[in-house]
Amino acid sequence: MKQCVVALALAILFVFLAVAADTASIEAPPASGPATGLADLAALRATVFGTPPQDIAPLPNKVPLLEMDLALPWARPVPAIFWFDRRLRVWLSAQDKPAPLAIVIAGTGGDGNTAKLSILRAVLYGAGYHVLTMPSPTFPGFIVSASSTGVAGDLVQDGRDLYAAIQQIISHLPRKVRITDIDILGYSLGGANAAVVKSIDAMEHKLDIHRALMINPPVSLFSAVGRLDKLYAITLGNGDAGVERFYQQLYAALANLYRATDRVELDEDFLLGAAASVLKTDAEFSTAIALTFRIALINVFFAGDLYSGSGVVVDPRHPPNVGDSMDEIFRILRGKPFSEYFTKVFAPYYLRRRPNSTVNELIAENRLESIGDALRGNPDYYAQTNSDDLILDAAELDWLQRTFGARIQVYDHGGHLGNLGDRQQVADMLDMLGGRWKGSAP
Amino acid sequence: MRATGPLIALLLSLVGCASQEVRYRQLPPDTPAANHAVNLEKARAFAAQAASAAKNTKPGAAVEPVPLTPADAPSLATYDPWGSFNRSMYRFNARFDEAVYLPVANGYRRLPAPIRAGVHNFFGNLSEVDSVINYTLQGRLGRGVRSLGRFVINSTLGVGGLFDVAEKINMPRAPTGWGMTLAKWGMHPGPYLVIPFLGPSTLREGIGLAGDYGTSYAVNVADLYRGSKSWGLGVLNAVDKRANVDFRYYASGSPFEYDTIRFLYVRKLLIEDAGLHRERPAKISNPDQPAGE
Repeated sequence: MKQCVVALALAILFVFLAVAADTASIEAPPASGPATGLADLAALRATVFGTPPQDIAPLPNKVPLLEMDLALPWARPVPAIFWFDRRLRVWLSAQDKPAPLAIVIAGTGGDGNTAKLSILRAVLYGAGYHVLTMPSPTFPGFIVSASSTGVAGDLVQDGRDLYAAIQQIISHLPRKVRITDIDILGYSLGGANAAVVKSIDAMEHKLDIHRALMINPPVSLFSAVGRLDKLYAITLGNGDAGVERFYQQLYAALANLYRATDRVELDEDFLLGAAASVLKTDAEFSTAIALTFRIALINVFFAGDLYSGSGVVVDPRHPPNVGDSMDEIFRILRGKPFSEYFTKVFAPYYLRRRPNSTVNELIAENRLESIGDALRGNPDYYAQTNSDDLILDAAELDWLQRTFGARIQVYDHGGHLGNLGDRQQVADMLDMLGGRWKGSAP
Repeated sequence: MRATGPLIALLLSLVGCASQEVRYRQLPPDTPAANHAVNLEKARAFAAQAASAAKNTKPGAAVEPVPLTPADAPSLATYDPWGSFNRSMYRFNARFDEAVYLPVANGYRRLPAPIRAGVHNFFGNLSEVDSVINYTLQGRLGRGVRSLGRFVINSTLGVGGLFDVAEKINMPRAPTGWGMTLAKWGMHPGPYLVIPFLGPSTLREGIGLAGDYGTSYAVNVADLYRGSKSWGLGVLNAVDKRANVDFRYYASGSPFEYDTIRFLYVRKLLIEDAGLHRERPAKISNPDQPAGE
């Protein structure tokens, strides 16, 4: 149910004054086709509300939690405005006996303790794993403390940074934690990150990661986000008016609902109850989803611009300091589509570092196909997704099925992550990680 | 002199100079099964609530409140003329929370749940005195009588307020204070204000907090608000409050966290203000006027 609060809180804060995008010198990658679940109300609803509580898999009574804050030796100088992100924060739930370690990576923009990670942590701990939950490499705390570039979103570079960070974390685990095997998994973009980390480890053998599982992964980060940009443009338009209208409608609806009760405080319970009456139509769900992704990307855009010195919203000679107003930067970033991050920050930065590359090669390197041979040939990669996932088009879903063969489970419904934690998804996940899956290697 | 070491460590951590490769913090364990049971119960309650949505009006409301229209929504911008001070104070509070407040609250959360519930109920019961006075000042006498009833029942049958007996007989807690009274009297929230140690507020709410404390001090129930014991009780009250708030500074990792919290806090306040009045908020003549002004 937390998702409702998140969706609503995010919806309330999508306060964007969009500005028309400048003509870009580099073409943004096109979204290849419409998402598989975009016209489907059930898929949209599942994406926003998540798994209904009655369908959640059995959960353990108690899960220990150790928070670890690490200062990583390769961290870059921390800009003043990011003073609180100096250390990488991860969470460990350790068994008191020898056990396999499951490393779980969050989706786009998520820290290492999201509601979705909490569910995965609980079921994995309940199944006997030590569980280490990690932020996404697109989470600002990771970008500042662990990224070697500050420009997030590159599958290979992010994978390398994650791999290095995981080695540091494992070398600093409390001594009583005895690990028998290492598996890695993640949801959404974290799924793609997990697979890339395993593929790097297959060459370097520093961790000997056994199995990797991707839950609702994107096949191409940039086409998935491009599709969400498009959804945003359809539901909210490119100008100020659509955003302001949505905010005003939502505000009035919430205020009227609140005034019709006898509550003395607008609390979480009220928001939970209000979510169902405020979000009803395809358009409303789509708007909430498009906005949720957009807000997750604001930090990526800001950090990338600051670290690369691109100067799109941050003057590299006068970066903001603690106490400075961020109103104007926030206002401008709210209106910027992700494609602009690609064209003005990401592509110029990585093309400078890889002078022989082209934009098309950058896009290709960020497709799962770049590790396609490993995904096809190595029986230790697994995937779970839904036929109505909003971040896939039909061709991408087909590619996943052909690539994984018997090692993928495609559920009929759930949209994007709308069935994470349900009984079937959890049972299949544990079978896959435990080597008991019907498509497992003997 | 023995206290010098910890004091220096505390000061260093408050100014952000504490350094070691890895810091470990053992948190109170997560309780997924119990949390899930609560979610299930809430889902059932919401379903029931939705089924009876048609009857969902203010009990005893003679006149339906005039519905707000989207045009009544406040501006997207928030009134924050003291932004520079507020942002610095937000950072101070974040550091204090991380170094002192949260670790103490986490330690407190290891005490058995019935003890913590007793402490929580005890302070909740004391605040009923302020509620009775403020409901009266707001002209909401029915609610004032209910708060008084709660105070009498919980102070006697509830053993000095340690048990919330009134809740079990369908008299749930509904606290109010000077902030809400000032809102009822028509005062706008005013400039956004981050109060040292306490966090997000506005000028009106800040005045309200001072009023609430002044009321408690003046009434001085059981002589708890004066003398040396008042300090101990004040600290315990603060720890109980923190232990019951599920918020972590900069968990978002975002340099826009201040802006986000400010936006949500002031909109929440304005919706609660709207709930105090049957009529629509007075039309703001200048559409560029930031929310809260």
